[in-house]
Formats: sequence, C-alpha cells, structure tokens
Amino acid sequence: MLKNLVRVGLLSAVMLATFTSCEDEQQFTNENTDARRIEVSVLPDNLAKVRDYVPLYAVAAHRGSIFWTPEETEASWRWAREMGADYLESDMQATKDGIVLANHDENLKRTTNIQYVFSDYVPTTRKDFYRSFKDENGNQIFTEDDINAQYQRDVNDFRTFYTLSYYYAELLMLDAGTWFNNSSLEEARPGFAASHNGYFQDGKLVYSDGLYVSALQDQIAFAEGKKLKRDANGVRVLPYRIKDKYKGMTLEQIYNSEKKTVKCDDPNVAYSYAAKYMDFVEYDFDNAYVVDDQDTGNRPGIYIEFKESWLNPKDMEVRVYNVLAECGWNIITKPATDSRFYTNGKVNVGNTNGKVILQTFSFDALHRAYDVFKGQIPMCFLLWISEPPYATDIAFDTPTGYADFIRYGQEYGAHIMGPAISGAPNNYPEMNQPWQAYMIRKSQMLNHPYSFDSWAQMAKYMGYYVDYYGQGNTTMFDDLLRLTIPATPFTNFTGTNSVPVYLDGYFTNRSEISLQYMIENGFRCNSALPDPFHPGKTYDNSQAPSTVPDPKALLDRLGY
Amino acid sequence: MKKYILMPLLAVFALTAAAQDFDTDPTLELENAEKEVKFTVGARMMADAAYYNSDFTPLQSGASITDARIRTSMTYKNWYFYADFGFGGGKFAQKNIFLQYSHLDNNDNTHAVKVGYYNDPAGSMARNTSLGSYHFISRPGSSNALGEGRELGISYKFNSNHFMAYQGVFTENAYNKIDAGFNGMTVAGRYLFRPVVDENQTLHVGANVRFAHMGGGEVTNNVLKKTLHLGQALETYVDDDDQFVSCDLPWINNVFDAGAELLYHNEKFFVRGEYMYKHTTKKRDSNTLWEASNNNIDTWGSYDWWLAANPLRNDNFHGGYVEAGFMIFGNPYHYNMQEGLLGGLDGKALEIVARYNYTSLNDVNDGEYFAIGRNQYYPNGYMEDWPYASSSVGGGKANSYTIGLNYSFNRYVQCMFDYTFHRLQKDFLPYDKNMHVAQARVQFTF
Repeated sequence: MLKNLVRVGLLSAVMLATFTSCEDEQQFTNENTDARRIEVSVLPDNLAKVRDYVPLYAVAAHRGSIFWTPEETEASWRWAREMGADYLESDMQATKDGIVLANHDENLKRTTNIQYVFSDYVPTTRKDFYRSFKDENGNQIFTEDDINAQYQRDVNDFRTFYTLSYYYAELLMLDAGTWFNNSSLEEARPGFAASHNGYFQDGKLVYSDGLYVSALQDQIAFAEGKKLKRDANGVRVLPYRIKDKYKGMTLEQIYNSEKKTVKCDDPNVAYSYAAKYMDFVEYDFDNAYVVDDQDTGNRPGIYIEFKESWLNPKDMEVRVYNVLAECGWNIITKPATDSRFYTNGKVNVGNTNGKVILQTFSFDALHRAYDVFKGQIPMCFLLWISEPPYATDIAFDTPTGYADFIRYGQEYGAHIMGPAISGAPNNYPEMNQPWQAYMIRKSQMLNHPYSFDSWAQMAKYMGYYVDYYGQGNTTMFDDLLRLTIPATPFTNFTGTNSVPVYLDGYFTNRSEISLQYMIENGFRCNSALPDPFHPGKTYDNSQAPSTVPDPKALLDRLGY
Repeated sequence: MKKYILMPLLAVFALTAAAQDFDTDPTLELENAEKEVKFTVGARMMADAAYYNSDFTPLQSGASITDARIRTSMTYKNWYFYADFGFGGGKFAQKNIFLQYSHLDNNDNTHAVKVGYYNDPAGSMARNTSLGSYHFISRPGSSNALGEGRELGISYKFNSNHFMAYQGVFTENAYNKIDAGFNGMTVAGRYLFRPVVDENQTLHVGANVRFAHMGGGEVTNNVLKKTLHLGQALETYVDDDDQFVSCDLPWINNVFDAGAELLYHNEKFFVRGEYMYKHTTKKRDSNTLWEASNNNIDTWGSYDWWLAANPLRNDNFHGGYVEAGFMIFGNPYHYNMQEGLLGGLDGKALEIVARYNYTSLNDVNDGEYFAIGRNQYYPNGYMEDWPYASSSVGGGKANSYTIGLNYSFNRYVQCMFDYTFHRLQKDFLPYDKNMHVAQARVQFTF
C-alpha cells in the first residue's frame, strides 16, 4: 500500500510540475493578446497605392455639420469648406427619377417639412408635376388619361416619406432648414429657414426659397467653391425637362421600360410596394451653380456613403460613377495631376486623386462598388455592432471577427476601416479600442473612426491621456501605434511629443474643435510628421490652414 | 431444504445484479432470505484534475468533483429495482431509476422487461457503459455528440449466449417538463451477435438503430419551434465547454440514428469501436411564419419566394471511435453478457489504453461563404445585406487521439491518467486547431 501511494505521489508531482511550468498560458480570452498574435491580411500593393491618395489625419466634416447647421445642405457644406475640413461627408440616397441625393436618412421626415407639405400620401401636386412637362409650343406633353393612370401606379408603388417615392423636383419644394431651427434652438438662424414652400403657379413648379435637400452634384459644387444659383427671390434655378431618350413616350411606356428601385432582379421583391424608377427627368445641373463670393480657396474632397442597398437602385454605384465623371470628379476617367493636399494655407484635397472617398456599411454596396470602381477610388468599410445584429453589422467584434472583416474589406477593394467610437453625445459602441486600432494598422489600412464631438474624444484617440503627465507611459501596442510628433510653431508643446495614435483620419461633427486639436498637437501644419505607413519617411502637411475660423462668425459671413 | 430455496435465489440475484450498469458489487448488502429480498447500497466519487493547452481559446484548467453518486438496488425474486442519485457539481440530480423483471427460460435465454429512466439501448455502446467501468476518463467525443443518454421508457431484452436483442420505446423528458409541444417519442434497439464467447475472450459485432420524433420546443408567434443541440466537450469534465464541436438544429422534427459496433477482448487485451450516423429531418409551420412576415412594406410577396429564401433541409452527421487496452498486470478483462459491454478493472491492476475518435458536426453546402465576424454562412458565396438563409451547419470537427494509464489499487479505488490531442476544425474558430488535454482522475466506487 505504501509503495502504491509513493507511485501515485510521484506521478502526481510530475503532472503538477508539468502543469505549472507553462507560465505563458493564456488564462482567459484576452483581446489585447489575441490582437497581436492572430493573422491580419495586409493591404496589397495596388490598394496601398490608392490608400496613399488620402491625406494622413484627414478631417471629414460629418454631414458638413450637424451641430452648427442643418445637415447635408448648402449651409453645412459651405461652412465645412470654409472651416478648412479636408472632406465634406455625405450619404447617398436616390429619388424616384434616379437623382443621387446627398442625404442621410432614407426618408425625409426628420430633415424636411415633408409631412406638412405632402402629408403621408403621394403628393397631391404629382399630377401637376406631370403636367408641367411642355413641348416647345407650350403644350402639355402627357395626356390626362396617361397622367391619371400613372398617378394610380405611383399610389401603388408609394412608400411614405422615402426618397425613392418622390421626384427630385418635388423635394426642392421642401424646406430642409426649419426643422434644425426647431430642434437646435441655440444654433438656430433665420437664414436656415425658407420663407415659403414650393408650389405650382400657372402650370410651373416654383421651388421653395430656403435650404434644399441636396443632390450629389450640389455637394461637389460646394466643394469646388460654388454655391446654388438662385433667382432674385432666393429661389433655386434648376430647370428640368424630359431626357432625349424618353421623348415621345407616354408615362406608361416610361414606367414599363424602367426597373424597380430595389433589387430588381430578385424574385423576392416582385410584388414589393417599393416605388419604381421613373428615370426620365433631366435637370440642368450644368447651369445650377455660381461662384461663391464667400469662398476663400479651400478645395476639400467629398466622402460619400452608399446607404441602404435594398432601397436604392441596383445600379446606384454606376449612377454615382457617372455623376462623378460628369462633374470631373471621377479619377478613373480623369486622374488628377496635382498631388498636394494643401497649398499656401489652403485645403487642396479636392484637386488630388484623393478627392473622393467612398464609404459603406452595406455588404451589397461594397460588393457592387468593387465591381464598378475596382478598388481604384479610396473606399472605407464602416463598422457597427448592435444586439441583435443588424443585417450589415459585425456581430462578433472579437479580434477574430475584426480580422475577418478587415480581410473581407480588402477583398472587395476597401482601403480604410471605419469603426464607431464611444462618447457623448452619440454614445456609440466602442469599436476603436487600442487593440482594434492596432489590427487596422497591422493591415496597413487607414483607420477612420466616427464620429467625434468633443475635445475629450480627440484626446482619447490621439494619445493625449496616455501621456497626460508627460511621464512617457507605454502601451502594449506602441510598436505600431506610438508616434513621435515634432513641435511646430502652432503646437502647445516644444521639442517632441511621443504618443500612441489610434486613428489616421476621422469623421467629426465639430470641425472647429477637431482642427484646433490637430493643429495644437502637431498633427496638422507639420512638415515632419512620422508616416506610419512608410516607416522612416515623413509626412508634410505644413501647408494646411493654421488658423480655425470662429464657427459662428463664419456662419455670419456666409449670410445665415 | 434451505439449500433448495437459496440456490434459485442466488441465481436470480446473479441475473439481476448483472443488469446494473456498474460492475462492482456493492459493498453494503442487506439480505433477508426469508422474505427473499436483497438490498444493496453503494456510492461513487470521481475527482478529476486537468490541464489544457490550446492554440487560441483557453479552457479552464483545474480540478473538479466530476461525479458523486449514491446507488441503491433491491432484488425480490425476478424483480430488480435500481436507483442512483448524483450530486456532483453541488447539484442533486436523478440518474437511473428503473424496475426490471427477468426470466431465465429453459434454454438459458434471458428475457427482461425494464421500465423506468435509463440509458437508451441505441444510445451507443460507450454511453451504455458506466463511466465507473470505463477505461478512459471520458467516453469518446463522438458518443457524447451523437449518442444518447437516459430516457424514460420500457424495453424488452432477449439475451442468449450468442445473441442479444434489446429494444424499447422511450420519451425524452422524464418529468414532461417542457414549455410546449408533446414529450417526444423514441423507438430504439441494439442487436449483438457474439461469434466467440468463452471464459477468456469474447467477440461481438452489433448494430443499433433509433428513431426519435422530437418533442418539446418553444412557441413564438403561434409557431412551435423545436431545436436540437448536439455537442461534445473535449473528452474532459473539468471544463466541459462544447463550443469547439457543437451545433443547434432549429426546426428539428425527427432524428434517425444508426450505428455499428465491434468488441473483442481476451484476458490481456481489448479493442472496441463504433460508427455513429445521425440523420435529422426538419419541420416548421412555414405558412404561419410567412403570414407573420407580411407585416410591413418589405413583404416577401409570395409564399413560394419566402420558402426559397428560408430553406429547410435534412442534416447528416458522422462519428466513430476505436479504443484498445492492454493489461500489464491484474485480473483478466471480463465481459458483461447481460449488457453486452466490457467491464471495468477489477482488483489490483495496471493497464495502458489508447483511443482514436472522430466527430463531425459539419454539414456545409458547397460554395457558401462563411463570415467569422457574423458567424453566418452566405449561400451566394459572398456577404449580402439580406441574403437567403443558409441551411449549412458548421458545428465543427474533431480528430482526437488519447493514450492513458489506469492503475487500480483494489476493486474500489482507481487512478487514471489520460493525455488527449485534439485536432479541431470549425469555421467560426479558425485559430483553435490544436488542443492538448492532460488529465488525471481518482475514483472511488463501492
């Protein structure tokens, strides 16, 4: 018996020694550790070349501004341009006549007075709109019977307040500014509100006279230093007519020649109530803008998002491609010759190959955009998480799940990852923790988190808190994320500042705060920034504007 | 005269005792020969220590009271009652409880009818073997993933020297504690042929079949949804996490199991193995679900399109194992004729054992794309915003290799040492390829 006990004791001792000798064993699922040890696919050279079209530490003015102005309107983008943002950010929807809107929501209830102008039914002015098409002799083109029948089809296809249910001309009847004055009392301005809504007079459509729902062409024009062309009454000048290829056709023939606005080839929507495409209206965007007398020379790019793919035309990406080409902003058809992101204290991104960045949460849009743009225009793959997971969410934002989305993004031509960040007032889920920023950096993709609203958020993601007391605190991701920033005449430090940086650009609702932070901390207006994507080389953005306008004074100057 | 009374009584005792699913004689016996009653009481305790080494996802190394159990039985003439109760993990649990009537015919064939809660005869040879008699710390993973355990029912068993036919009718839940639906019904049978049976060796080949109409489920929007969970831990109990090889099968309707088994032993050596196949069918009230989906503007439009977007299909899973052991010293391996199972170590003994196990809970459609970040298969080969639902199952695969050493101090106390290497493959856990499990057990049974 004693011998047996000795045997068991010896065996147990050997096993115990074996067990406890493995000190590096991972005791729990540790995201920080996992992020370092799992494989992350690296951006291939052809995509890395396009990535470098984008300026480092790019400031994207989220919807122009949602804090100071009605979002995604002439006011917001003129303000963002003059503020010195690198990009005017927007979201793309489509109208019933296939115009690409720069508009965040898929419906217009929040950002216009649509429910007061049109109620929740097909606009009562719809028939007047069809009647407004006249031939050269001033005669109505579509017959009353044809119009009545089409109206009934419109009723059948109608989706209340959704952009795809309205013609663009109808949207120009709405006031896209008063809602802001009603909801942001401290930032309200008379210049944001229209004095009247649109109406029909003598068979002719008269638009409203305030801020409008924007088309993508409008956004590009604002980035080019222009503003809307208005008549003496402040009403937008944008005539419309029937496209040449539809001339001579009835509305019924046009209707039957068009495809559904949603996944038109999918049998599952064959009986969908979604509106049908009536892509027969041509708007005179070529003569819709004038030089903005308040333009000071900044030329930002645009950062445009493909939204709900299932609501928009299946050729949405092709439409965007064409609009960009028509406006001279498609670098595939017209590459830029200027590579300077900043010149003489002005933003010049809009004149470079980085003038357009695409973005999307949608897997469908990512896939289709890759078919159209082939990864030749910078693309940001946005990330979101919720419970239960939405159709386009990353459901598992673990290192493994994160690496999976990074790889998938690269496979479909993405150069940038766009994670959500936490913090008031949005209180989004935190998807840009240091380990996540580390994995994106490891992939050699750019990291453009969204959306910043405060100085505290800037400080959190640009290392300020890590070295709050200048103690040189280290982090476990310093090998890739810590940068040594040399001082500039504009920085609030001298010598150098060594900080971990968890972004390469970002979306901000407060351009004035974000830009000021960047300048004071040496990330902007610096001729010798370390370039994390090209080790040993420096990045020069010393020609960026070094002063940030007062946001309110700027709005005064712009006439609001 | 007394002798004439005792002899048949002892014969019955021998017959009924063999019906227990453990193979040590209970230490404590109370016998009243006058009333022809024998009462036994026993207990069992298993304490495991395990160390895990993984490529990626950690398991929790440590020690655990794997099993603690009190067992009782009573024999009266041809009647045998058995009940045991577990309190491992600090929780009381009812284990086996059944009543059996046995009859030995003139040809020395046994006929037994059993009623109660006990192992499904077709639940696999491994699952029918008591863990206290097992030659490894855990049963093979495939038997845990694809085999079945205890069920409430009635069975009839015929046993002769060369044949065993054991079949019954069962229901899943011993207490009918289900949220909705019926309690399910199972018909199962295990059939053995023993071409070699003598004092020193046995060879049996067998097959089992099982059909289960699943019960239980939960009701949502007036639709009953039954889900079957299949899974196995990594052949260990200290951390019984089954995430590496497991799946949930919603809309389950029927389950058909079929298996084949082989067992051979002589005095110094044993080898045994099983192949297990599981086929599942699905059923749902599609029409009600389709109608419920017509509550907003994004309706599917037609029932046929809804069906196309939400396919259901049957699933097939496979698994199997081979185990072998060599007795270095100790009493010979022995075979339980009544159960058709290999017995455990008996008395002072030392043996080495080895096992290979294969389990697959993968049933993936060709050409589909799997997104780890969403734990979702996409039928068209790439991610889509609103894809048609995939019918793929990615429960994972395991190839497991075990070597072990078992030392029995006496008939009551045993130590076991196993090392298992698992080679894993699961789409959702791509970094968990290799898992090492070293574990030891002290077992006390009386």
